[in-house]
Amino acid sequence: MPPIPTPAALVQDIRGLVTLPDVYLRITALVDDPDSSAADIARAASQDPSFAARLLQVANSALYGFSGQIATVPRAVTVIGTSQIRHLALAMSVASSFAGLPNELVSMRNFWRHSLFCALAARHLAREARRADPDALFTAGLLHDIGELILFNRLPAEAAEALTRVLDSGDELPVHEAERQVLGFDHADVGGELARLWKLPPLIAECIAHHHDIAAAGAHPRETALVHLANGLALMAEIGSLDPGDVSPLDPRAWEVTGLDEDCIGPAVAEAQGGIEAAEQLFGVAP
Amino acid sequence: MSGAAGPPPVLPGFEHVKRGWHNSYGAYAARILPGEYYVTRHEEGIYTTLGSCISACIRDRATGIGGMNHFMLPQTANEPQDWKATGLGAATRYGNFAMEHLINTIMKHGGRRENLEVKVFGGGRILENMTDVGRRNIAFVRDYLKAEGLKVAAEDVGEIYPRIVLYFPNTGKVKVKRLRSLHANLIASQERKYVESIAAQPVAGEIELF
Repeated sequence: MPPIPTPAALVQDIRGLVTLPDVYLRITALVDDPDSSAADIARAASQDPSFAARLLQVANSALYGFSGQIATVPRAVTVIGTSQIRHLALAMSVASSFAGLPNELVSMRNFWRHSLFCALAARHLAREARRADPDALFTAGLLHDIGELILFNRLPAEAAEALTRVLDSGDELPVHEAERQVLGFDHADVGGELARLWKLPPLIAECIAHHHDIAAAGAHPRETALVHLANGLALMAEIGSLDPGDVSPLDPRAWEVTGLDEDCIGPAVAEAQGGIEAAEQLFGVAP
Repeated sequence: MSGAAGPPPVLPGFEHVKRGWHNSYGAYAARILPGEYYVTRHEEGIYTTLGSCISACIRDRATGIGGMNHFMLPQTANEPQDWKATGLGAATRYGNFAMEHLINTIMKHGGRRENLEVKVFGGGRILENMTDVGRRNIAFVRDYLKAEGLKVAAEDVGEIYPRIVLYFPNTGKVKVKRLRSLHANLIASQERKYVESIAAQPVAGEIELF
């Protein structure tokens, strides 16, 4: 068997297959430019008519609570906020960006469904925890497992072997640990490399890279812990359980770091379940 | 109790089944795959993962001897409308085979028919865009048990989730855990391979099977 490539090499391999759309790159450049205005960002968003139409759809959705009041892109940019719009643009882009990277192990529908459960739970937890940006956490939750899509596409046999080990263990071995056994690294490492290549905001990159190992987080330990918790809650939302024992274990330090406690499980799971259908229509892939 | 003592003795015919110590519930457990079954008279668990397959968990509630099977009906060219266990269709033979093997082995080792306690799991529709083969597996096992005069004490069947079922014949305790959809394709492909393997077997007389 050929040697297993490194996460960095895997990410290099898919460069041509998965790209972020120009509209995201333009908006990001403007957000980073201190001389740009909200009007500049609105103009950039409007240059991509399908993006502009979806932006209005999202702004008017239950997710933002301005139902039907936002008629123009400049207004959407103002109410959503110029720094938040970058996170939203990323969230709106990512599912279609990965459409060119199919795999046999998980359907895109099921993959993005889990990711959206996590996004909704992360946004809810960010509000509960305060001092955290709910829009950034939504996007971090949505992107937390993107390394999985790269692994499943580039190393399907090894990824299947890891999942087989999880099943053989009676679901006691967590997926990321099975990946480490088989590959020496896991999907979070691969996602972290992609975040670096794509120059994603550091907060998002850390959440992706460390959501299974929150002690390794650098500048954004609280956000990383929020995504770690949201991942567990997303699994509970998916299988319809309120018992953390039914999903891969939550790191007790994540509660400490965020100042949250287990009382948030019920409401967060309920919010994720309640929002999933609308979120799938806005951010997911067609079934 | 710890795993140091080694697994409990295995009944003849089940030496090939993989068993391991599980810290989370402090017991040995046997892992069975599609088409397999396992019977034990000792304090140990049996577990399997189910998509549209069925596992029957059967034990003698007086002596605690019992076991679990894992099967599904292969698809045949002429699909009957119902899945009567009493029918002579080629497909139902595999269901009958799996059920009789389990029950006969329990009885052979001292289980009594009047003491049998039956629980049934699986038959999920775990993939979208797939015909609901789980439903006919459920219909088959219910019909089989009815024809045999055996009541179902508990069940968790159908729905969209893959499952892990962990059964302790000694106490009759079962833990069913729903699995995330990430595992659905792999479980479905394991089950598909099993169905293809039984479908590839030559259509032999009943005698060869029982």
